[in-house]
Amino acid sequence: MNLAIHTDVKERAASATAPATIEEKVSVRRLNFYYGAFRALADINVNLFENTVTAFIGPSGCGKSTLLRILNRIYDLYPNQRAEGEVILDGENILRPGQDLNLLRAKVGMVFQKPTPFPMTIYENVAFGVRLYENVSKAELDIRVEDALRRGALWDEVKDKLDASGLSLSGGQQQRLCIARTVAIKPEVILLDEPCSALDPISTAKIEELIDVLKRDYTIAIVTHNMQQAARTSDFTAFMYLGELIEYGDTTQIFTNPKLERTQDYITGRFG
Amino acid sequence: MSAPKNNARYASRRRGNFIATVLSVGAACFGLTWLLLILTVLVVKGVGGLSPSVFSEMTPPPGGEGGLLNPIMGSLIMTIMAVLIGTPLGIMAGTYMAEYGRYSKLTMIVRFINDILLSAPSIVIGLFVYELMVATMGHFSAWAGAVALAIIVIPVVVRTTEDMLLLVPNTLREASAALGLPQWLVIRHVAYRAARAGITTGVLLAVARITGETAPLLFTALNNQFFSWDLNAPMASLPVVIFQFALSPYEDWQQLAWTGALLVTAAVLALSILARMLASKRVPS
Repeated sequence: MNLAIHTDVKERAASATAPATIEEKVSVRRLNFYYGAFRALADINVNLFENTVTAFIGPSGCGKSTLLRILNRIYDLYPNQRAEGEVILDGENILRPGQDLNLLRAKVGMVFQKPTPFPMTIYENVAFGVRLYENVSKAELDIRVEDALRRGALWDEVKDKLDASGLSLSGGQQQRLCIARTVAIKPEVILLDEPCSALDPISTAKIEELIDVLKRDYTIAIVTHNMQQAARTSDFTAFMYLGELIEYGDTTQIFTNPKLERTQDYITGRFG
Repeated sequence: MSAPKNNARYASRRRGNFIATVLSVGAACFGLTWLLLILTVLVVKGVGGLSPSVFSEMTPPPGGEGGLLNPIMGSLIMTIMAVLIGTPLGIMAGTYMAEYGRYSKLTMIVRFINDILLSAPSIVIGLFVYELMVATMGHFSAWAGAVALAIIVIPVVVRTTEDMLLLVPNTLREASAALGLPQWLVIRHVAYRAARAGITTGVLLAVARITGETAPLLFTALNNQFFSWDLNAPMASLPVVIFQFALSPYEDWQQLAWTGALLVTAAVLALSILARMLASKRVPS
């Protein structure tokens, strides 16, 4: 495992020296967000690059989860929440009124803080979303489910009990099931909203390894309270405070040589 | 734990606790005593009349031989019809309130009116359906009885459906929406599934509630000495037969009333136990 982390650091260093070669996947422009009259995000500008992991850090209530919830417009489920500005995904503004939300969410998957398996079997939890968008045969579906569960690093633990309820799994397994379920419908962007905050260290390590593997195929954004996790898993880091994006840059730079004092204070834990 | 410093205060607290416990246990026993007495009397008086003929013969004329076949069948038919009419309406209304219109004004109004309907005296519902159907059609009918019972079923089902769907955590809805599921699929495959046991319990409790209803049937289905499949004609039902026979001066009729009461109580008890079992099996989510 040590070795894996080392090579990862090298890779990250390599990508940091040549940021021009990576493609922009999501581009947030002058984004403001309101809960009723309360402005939760102020003029956010940030990019997510293809096949990279971007971490959002900051104290509770700074707006990092809010930002993530805009990227798949899940906030639309609730009244009195609205976003202004632009979020460009593959050249299209997803905040425009005509945006098909279901197609957007199929393209931008999300994993939540608390594991949320559906009240159905493990197999169905994964197959459910696939069937929704594609007309696949039973044999093909079996392959898709297996593939997704392997990508979720869960296959070996559940292959003999696919018919058991998703709720029967442990917390860490449930969270990996949720990741598998998200991956199964072949999204392009994956949003992780504090995916490990309810998990023990072993499950957390498993999910962090998984993030490393997943970024080969997806663009990933992760919100985390765990500074080490941000440093370990991400290529880019954005530090947010009171609804503003304070500093954004290469993860190594943010954690070793932040430009702003406030960032420095937060990552060193001096922040109150 | 260290010993309490102020022993007088501790003693008075213990005394208070003792008194509260005694009062609570006493109240529970008081309630249970009546229930037990009712059940005992029912069993003692009712069991004697139980025989195969109760389930195979029609209600007799005074002094004749007979059973309770026609009211048993009548109750079954009208209860099933009421559930068939009331359950879909109730579930759909509850679904609107919990899912589609959760934040709308209409939901608040419907919830308020539904609560009134929930506690409306059933005799009022019987009179309402009498005006609506019996008076306009010119005769009593099983249809009218079923509609009156359905009106009692609907608010119970609306309430439990809404409550059970509101218990489904929003994180589950968000998670399904995040997969790109349209709302109706989220409701059908995720919310209903998570709330299924609770909603079923609500329907069973509604059935238990209408099984013993007499007033709405007196004004609508009335009674029938004979077995009838005709939904446009009056139909016998257990509660109405019990009402009529228990008040009669004939001993054999009174015996049948006791037996009928035992049957109704046993059915309600069985439904409640079933509902309890389902409710305790509710999937944690």
